[in-house]
Amino acid sequence: MSMRPTSSRVVLASLKPSTDIPRPSRTLGRGGLAWRALSPFTIVLLVILVAVAITAAQEEERTAVEPAVARKAATLILARCAVCHTTDLISQQRLPRDRWTATVEKMVHWGADLSKDEAALLVQYLSARNHPGAPDQLPSIENELAMAQPAREQGVATDGPLTGVAAKGAGLYAHNCQACHGEGAAGGAGPKLARNRILKNEGAFWETVLHGRGPMPAWGAVLSHQEIADIHAWLASR
Amino acid sequence: MTVSRRAWLKTLLQGIGVGLVVGPRFPTVDAAYGSEGSLGTGPLTVRVTRPFDAETPVREFTSWLTPNERFFVRSHFGPPAAETVQSDAWRLTVKGLVKEGLSVSLKDLQQFEAVTLTAVLQCSGNGRAHHRPKVPGVQWERGAVGNAQWTGVRLRDVLQQAGVKPQGLHVQFQGADRPVLATVPLFTRSIPLAKALHPDTLLAYEMNGRPLPLLHGAPLRVITPGWMAESCMKWLTEITVRADETPGYYMQQAYRIPETAVQPTSGLPGSAMVPVEQMLVKSLIAAPAEGDTVRKGPVTIQGVAWAGDVAVTQVEVSCDDGRTWEPARFVGEEQPYAWRQWQYIWNAKSVGPTAILCRATDARGERQPVTSPWNPGGFLWSGWDRLTVTVAA
Repeated sequence: MSMRPTSSRVVLASLKPSTDIPRPSRTLGRGGLAWRALSPFTIVLLVILVAVAITAAQEEERTAVEPAVARKAATLILARCAVCHTTDLISQQRLPRDRWTATVEKMVHWGADLSKDEAALLVQYLSARNHPGAPDQLPSIENELAMAQPAREQGVATDGPLTGVAAKGAGLYAHNCQACHGEGAAGGAGPKLARNRILKNEGAFWETVLHGRGPMPAWGAVLSHQEIADIHAWLASR
Repeated sequence: MTVSRRAWLKTLLQGIGVGLVVGPRFPTVDAAYGSEGSLGTGPLTVRVTRPFDAETPVREFTSWLTPNERFFVRSHFGPPAAETVQSDAWRLTVKGLVKEGLSVSLKDLQQFEAVTLTAVLQCSGNGRAHHRPKVPGVQWERGAVGNAQWTGVRLRDVLQQAGVKPQGLHVQFQGADRPVLATVPLFTRSIPLAKALHPDTLLAYEMNGRPLPLLHGAPLRVITPGWMAESCMKWLTEITVRADETPGYYMQQAYRIPETAVQPTSGLPGSAMVPVEQMLVKSLIAAPAEGDTVRKGPVTIQGVAWAGDVAVTQVEVSCDDGRTWEPARFVGEEQPYAWRQWQYIWNAKSVGPTAILCRATDARGERQPVTSPWNPGGFLWSGWDRLTVTVAA
């Protein structure tokens, strides 16, 4: 029998109503064990182990983050961390809180665009999700966000034209796109966007921004459709 | 401007043509392999998608040389744009504490005597995933290592042409790769002058008889045989002779280990930190693979062992979880800096799961420990290799 399923629920449980703490009978049943086949000593041992598992699960419940916090943190990771590296690098870490704090501080020092509150939120989320006792396999941060979301994506179903506001797009561009596409959209690690032909190809533009392409992360969970339209309007005015 | 969301959904298919419209300036893995064929990432275990970090499945180590397209890949920022390292645009600059600065093309460089040697290249973080408590970083398991034939010129010859001034004690390397954000420190490293002047320290332009692939540092990289891979700068463009070790994160903070053993804590190391340099003696089981089922009777266990700049003198195998050890037999080539292949015929008698372990000893008398000393960067893992197979009747 494995203790792992209890801790594998840390974040997922926090995103759903948390009725997932295993009970002794369920855990034993999963292991295919019959009570009468066990010696009294084994039964005592199993009861102790299960009690430990429940305590550990409750402990983790207390440190688990609220769904809204998890959503916000995962969104920030896609927008601020995935600029330089994909989220698989984050997902494979298993670190205690102090090391997460040091890691996030290092990234902010190196230019990750995170406010103090946002950095604290990331530490809270990552310490609850990617702690040393977390299971080997965790869903990707992208998948977790897709499961927890998406309030914004639902907007796709509603119809009607969007009018981009170039004046608003300038600030949104500087905050979200400039790191790769350069000041004034003149290009950098990513392509030059000023007068780029993709601006005239709405399908390609929206597809790229919403879902990412090659090394560019998906922005669908980060930017609203209105914000994307604003950025498009500003780019088109360059 | 006005955008109808239904309109863009209808034209989604046009997105397929996006690559041509935008013109990718990010090098992709496919592009990086280019002439190596379209093997892509198939044979590698990808640890990080971008920047691309991937390790070689250990089954590949049944061959002495590791093919270029299956060789592990690691960098901090991914390769530079392919056009910046094309041989007509590329120059190598030698500057700093030298009598005469140099700026040379690849052709100029190839006027120096060509040297070919076979050497193991290993990431310092290889095996990081085995450290407990776990440490931050790419969680490499067993395959961030490979053995390749490198052709290039001696760094010593280039430095002699420039003329190292008496104050010059360290040789700094800078590659053409750049971080996405200008606020991230560059990957800049230095090695002591003695290692730079060693006749086997190369500026390599060929890997296994082919021009260096982009992912492995085209057109020129440093090879410091016997030392770990962070000294083997890829996409080399600048050599600077200096009086001191290179300042900055990647030399003064990263790639350092405690001089003496430390307690596994997440806090300060409690010991002077020194740069990672030499490889430690290490061995791997290449076959059978973890989880394999083998037949009762004779089973061939094979693998590789290396010890940096000294010879491996013995490899031992245990098929009873470390209680008893039997010597393996060396096979194949023996060359300085290269790894040694070994073989052991195990007579599998008892049916069921069995742990197979191996450990190597080198000419210095160093033997692989059960587990490596913990260190905050998770470097230099060299614990016994271990896997489990099931013996079937």
